[in-house]
Amino acid sequence: MQSSPNMLTKFESKSSRAKGIAFHPKRPWILVSLHSSTIQLWDYRMGTLIDRFEEHDGPVRGIDFHPTQPMFVSGGDDYKIKVWNYQTRRCMFTLNGHLDYVRTVFFHHELPWILSASDDQTIRIWNWQNRSLICTMTGHNHYVMCAQFHPTEDLIASASLDQSVRIWDISGLRKKHSAPTTISFEDQMARANPGQADMFGNTDAVVKFVLEGHDRGVNWVSFHPTLPLIVSAGDDRLIKLWRMSDTKAWEVDTCRGHFQNASACLFHPHQDLILSVGEDKTIRCWDLNKRTSVQSFKRDLDRFWVIAAHPEINLFAAGHDTGVMVFKLERERPASAVYQNQLFYITKEKHVKSYDFGKNVESPPMLSLRKLGSPWVPPRTLSYNPAERAILVTSPTDGGVYELIHLPRDATGAVEPTDVKRGQGTSAVFVARNRFAVFSQGNQQVDIKDLSNATTKSIKPPVGTTDIYFGGTGCLLFITPTSVVLFDIQQKKQLAELTVSGVKYVVWSNDGLYAALLSKHNVTIVTKTLEQVSSLHETIRIKSAAWDDAGVLLYSTLNHVKYSLLNGDNGIIRTLDQTVYLVKVKGRSVYCLDRSAKPRVLDIDPTEYRFKLALVKRNYDEMLQIIKTSSLVGQSIISYLQKKGYPEIALQFVQDPQTRFELALECGNLEVAIEMARELDRPNLWNRLGVEALAHGNHQTVEMAYQKQRNFDKLSFLYLATGDQEKLSRMAKIAEHRGDFTSRFQNAIYRGDVEDRIQMFKEVDLYPLAYLTAKSHGLTEEAESILEACGLTEDQITLSKIDEPLRVPQPIVPTFKANWPVKAAAHSSFEKALLGEVGAGDDEVAAIEFEPEEEDEVAAARDNFEEEEEDVAGWDMGDEINVEEDAEFVDVESAEAGAGSTEADLWARNSPLAADHVAAGSFETAMQLLNRQVGAVNFAPLKPRFMEIYKGSKTYLPASAGLPPLVNYVRRTVDETDSRKVLPVIPRDLETIANVDLQEGYAAMRANKLEDGVKIFKGILHSILLNTVSSEAEVEQAKKIIATAREYILAMSIELERRSLSTDTPEGLKRSLELSAYFTIPKLEVAHRQLALMAAMKFAFANKNYSSALSFANRMLANGGSPKLLEQARKIKMQSERSPQDKIDIEFDQFAEFDICAASYTPIYGGSPSVSDPFTGAKYHEQFKGTVCRISEVTEIGAPASGLRLFVPGQY
Amino acid sequence: MDPFSAEGELINIHNAFHQGQYPAVIEFDTSALSPENQLPARILQLRAQIALGQSDAVLADVAGEEDTPDLAAVKALAQHTAGDANSAYTLAQELAENYPDNSSVQVLAGTVLQAQGHSEEALALLTKHQGNLEAVALIVQIHLHQNRSDLALKEVQAAKRWAQDSLLVNLAESWVGLRVGGEKYQAAFYVYEELASAPSTAAPLSIVGQAVAELHLGRLPEAEAALSAALETYPDEAELIANAIVLNVLAGKSTEDLEQRLQKTQPLHPLMSDAQEKSALFDAAAAKYAPRVSA
Repeated sequence: MQSSPNMLTKFESKSSRAKGIAFHPKRPWILVSLHSSTIQLWDYRMGTLIDRFEEHDGPVRGIDFHPTQPMFVSGGDDYKIKVWNYQTRRCMFTLNGHLDYVRTVFFHHELPWILSASDDQTIRIWNWQNRSLICTMTGHNHYVMCAQFHPTEDLIASASLDQSVRIWDISGLRKKHSAPTTISFEDQMARANPGQADMFGNTDAVVKFVLEGHDRGVNWVSFHPTLPLIVSAGDDRLIKLWRMSDTKAWEVDTCRGHFQNASACLFHPHQDLILSVGEDKTIRCWDLNKRTSVQSFKRDLDRFWVIAAHPEINLFAAGHDTGVMVFKLERERPASAVYQNQLFYITKEKHVKSYDFGKNVESPPMLSLRKLGSPWVPPRTLSYNPAERAILVTSPTDGGVYELIHLPRDATGAVEPTDVKRGQGTSAVFVARNRFAVFSQGNQQVDIKDLSNATTKSIKPPVGTTDIYFGGTGCLLFITPTSVVLFDIQQKKQLAELTVSGVKYVVWSNDGLYAALLSKHNVTIVTKTLEQVSSLHETIRIKSAAWDDAGVLLYSTLNHVKYSLLNGDNGIIRTLDQTVYLVKVKGRSVYCLDRSAKPRVLDIDPTEYRFKLALVKRNYDEMLQIIKTSSLVGQSIISYLQKKGYPEIALQFVQDPQTRFELALECGNLEVAIEMARELDRPNLWNRLGVEALAHGNHQTVEMAYQKQRNFDKLSFLYLATGDQEKLSRMAKIAEHRGDFTSRFQNAIYRGDVEDRIQMFKEVDLYPLAYLTAKSHGLTEEAESILEACGLTEDQITLSKIDEPLRVPQPIVPTFKANWPVKAAAHSSFEKALLGEVGAGDDEVAAIEFEPEEEDEVAAARDNFEEEEEDVAGWDMGDEINVEEDAEFVDVESAEAGAGSTEADLWARNSPLAADHVAAGSFETAMQLLNRQVGAVNFAPLKPRFMEIYKGSKTYLPASAGLPPLVNYVRRTVDETDSRKVLPVIPRDLETIANVDLQEGYAAMRANKLEDGVKIFKGILHSILLNTVSSEAEVEQAKKIIATAREYILAMSIELERRSLSTDTPEGLKRSLELSAYFTIPKLEVAHRQLALMAAMKFAFANKNYSSALSFANRMLANGGSPKLLEQARKIKMQSERSPQDKIDIEFDQFAEFDICAASYTPIYGGSPSVSDPFTGAKYHEQFKGTVCRISEVTEIGAPASGLRLFVPGQY
Repeated sequence: MDPFSAEGELINIHNAFHQGQYPAVIEFDTSALSPENQLPARILQLRAQIALGQSDAVLADVAGEEDTPDLAAVKALAQHTAGDANSAYTLAQELAENYPDNSSVQVLAGTVLQAQGHSEEALALLTKHQGNLEAVALIVQIHLHQNRSDLALKEVQAAKRWAQDSLLVNLAESWVGLRVGGEKYQAAFYVYEELASAPSTAAPLSIVGQAVAELHLGRLPEAEAALSAALETYPDEAELIANAIVLNVLAGKSTEDLEQRLQKTQPLHPLMSDAQEKSALFDAAAAKYAPRVSA
């Protein structure tokens, strides 16, 4: 018998002998009753002891949680059954009655009953609500070791040392205790004539079956959760399986294997397995259907006494001599691999499926791996090879096996794979397109194998390696218990080593630059060269991780999804109600597999980590975007910003003035600080503001702060320092007013105001000082008068020698007028963006010069235009372009097919389109085609387009050293290999022209850069002339673009012509007026036509051509648009209507339909002879026939032409 | 045992050479090699020098050792790259006649002959090889150059039978794949991507290969990412620039700067000479047309 590689211990406790165990149905709790009289309550997930209950006297053997109420029951060797409330942590009451040890206690799943089994040979049922004994079942004639309720029916199973198992029917008891109102006549009859009463006349609980088969005492009995099966464990070392029907019960089979007393046994809640434990120190697992041993687990020293299963999840607990272990039988992590938009995973049925992240659909099963490993062992890992569409699956069975299987092209169902390559190995991963590595832990060797499963190379990994992972192309990561080693397979060289212990999983970022090393409680982020970037610790077990595209790691613990930036900043994204394994992050969705191997999508709010990421990358635009679009405010983000040294950004979020003030000071934003100080107006704040402002040299603010604080001394000194004499004297006045002599004296000194000083001395009767002052400043008269006032003469006083009086220097620079100049505080682009400075100004610089005051209108018109841009339905498509499908297939002369002809030759042969001939380098034939299709004669302007197409047609692949590179031809038919169908790629496809070039042209129109505009639109014409499209619809689109380009070129040329004219002469003025009128004729986008109309209207109005102005105004009003624009039109209309006459007669019939000749810029009225250009459809007077089209500059006006071909059905 | 096989001691230097890691080849420590491998290693190093444009140094190095046919072949190649076409051709012909079984002669003289346009002579010499993968690669390239991808494919498949895993065979298969197209583009891409992404094998050569494959697959943004990153590291690599020009043309971007750069680094690059030739062709062809009435 093999020992189990799969038993995964989740929790172990150390204590005295554990006799009873109970799982909490919802919380990660387990109750353990000990031989030492203690009951322990553990959180097995966190590994912490939550509580201890110690009221029993002697060993406690029975224990059970109530399924819904916050209580549990215990039974011990003190004959007592105790019911506890774990919230109040008290024993609520004790049920007395048993006369010997109580072996097991269980709650009924719905009734308020407790079932107990005792050494007094009875089984009792108690009602815990009225705390009474309601039934005593006698019949066993030895200790009853175990008694359990049936999970759904009114049955009880009991096991006794009298070697029997009994099944009891308690339906009578239920009837008796259910509501008495529904007693029917039959019931009364039945009660009156107790047919099945036992010898004491007891009908409440009667023995239904006695199962005899064990040769020794029976220790445990369990019902199957759904099937009519019973399993029992006895001192005869056997596990016996019994089946029952309504009328009988019989032994089915025996599981032999325990070599000591079997203590307990149960059915696996979800799988066809039996688990048993025994005093032979083993946990054994049996196949329910075959009754063979599936696996076993042995402890060295401890005998097992009890086993329990979690009712919901895949967890078991077993009690032994020195504690309890909680374990699962198998890994629940589904094997999976992600490649681009696909997830490959193995279901519980061992089917390989894929999941498309783009469409969010599961594929049907693609393969069945039923034969891989043993039936009870799920595959461990899956590695996917996109180049070969193969998977590599490992299973831990038999010390590890791997299989290499090619996936079928289409998922057609769970077929058995054909052509499977297999071998022995602990781990196996693809390391390159055609190589995989197999690691065998037993002999510590890594074999590099090719796809035929032949070993090409062998590597000795570092000592103690436990696992291998893909390490980037051509490299492997060796995982040892204390380190991770990056190894180059080709050079057989260790590239790097990182000391990080206990790594279990490695998750590579999508761009392959970073990897996350996951261990039980740590995530270490490393670069692809194995340099540690950051590391973080979790107290809760880490289960899985996935990278989002921006380089943020999302990881799941048992109960949370969290994120970590590269710098180690982390936080919680959401909680989880069940364990999941992340596989991919896409936008707001996290894809994961749950424990039943079903793909699930979790919605997350990525705002927080995106914001932090933007902050780290200083991507302020994105931050701004996030702030604007989400409700990201709150203390946490502010303190985060502050802590990370971004007070100026935090400032933008804060509303609270106090906090704003603090932040403003911190980032030196005085304006905001002043604003907030005003709002709060507290001396303390003004004081701090003053200090800060002083440091900035912002003395005006300092002044204000001092004023607010009424800090006169400082204020005076500030005025002195800044040389503000005027204010200083005002300060003196204030001091005088306040009667503050010290201050007044000081101010006087500051100002050098001797008179005031003397005056003050006199006022305070300090005549000697007053005299001295006067005397020393040479104010003799004043001195005399002081003496006089004191009634003294000069002889009566003695004076020391008088020095030169103090002269206060006069300020030279009027510093007070302005603050100390500082370099303008650099507003971060973030702040700018917030203040709306970014983006606004830049594109508006392109002023329109039709009329200066039109700027606003243009902007408005642009807005308007942008709304209408999508709407091309209203376009008049202009004249027909003859695109006919009958253009003959051009016969290109070339060498015979087959050997030696280049792909370029094939292109020319495969296509009748000019663009394809250009790409093939066959310029002559291309020109022939164009000449025939659109009458092209002047090819010079097309040269850049020719060269562009030609240059883009070939790549240069360096091959052998010393030889020129291999030339390969770039195709637009990427999937095509048939040489008769390959076609070249043509740069600037229709989509680019429509989305990029055309918009540039419009922008040029808006910005009034007409010369550029003409160039751009001509470029568009040339790009379309040599191009290919993929559908008839695109041909139509191309025609529309040609027409648009034509109209714009015509309009712009007319306006350019007008600008080149002088209006000084009457002829010039007349022609100008005409041209400005013609400018309104071409079919431009409405917003652009409004510009033309506006210009024409104003020009006509200014020259008193009111009739024309009126017609333009009317057309503008009919077009609608921005109110401002229309307002002007209305004004002009009103004015013009007063005298609707033209002062200068111009050739412009506002009521007639006409075209404009693109050469002479004169009208071509309907009916008059004209010719048109075969390519652009531009109209000309007849005299221009045979010249080069002014619009396209390539084609000949009026030339015979079959029409431009851009598309061959079935070709693309 | 073939010194270039997976377990041979020359495998690393040999692979480095064919991955275009020429500096690594020159710096390769050859002192630990066994005596019989010293010469091949030296030849590889000399060829790497030639590939880096140091032909004169190589000529000086081999001077006086022309008696060894291997070194004489190196001399021929060096002469060719130094611009002395005639002497190179004569020497190559002479070597081809006298030592047709020497593998260095096959490869190097074959290269010279092919480079001077004598494809038939080159093929005649190269087909005499006995399990020389370099010769196979050259043959494949010559066939491709002659637009005989059918023959090239045959050659590769034959070689795959006895050297499936060799780098050269993989590369040669990719060359053919990029010519054949369809699914083969993707396969070629995988080969180059693998080389380009592993730090130990990344070199301009493999990055160009990867980018070219992306171009053919129509994945312009990816190709651009690869090329622009590589151009930062290797700003003077002609093939990088040339393919970046192609890429920019396809993406509708300006190529003037790049063309000037290419003009500076390698004025004779096929892209430039080809473009000039076509420009002249255009002018000539365009001259045949004129409007009936000149404006």
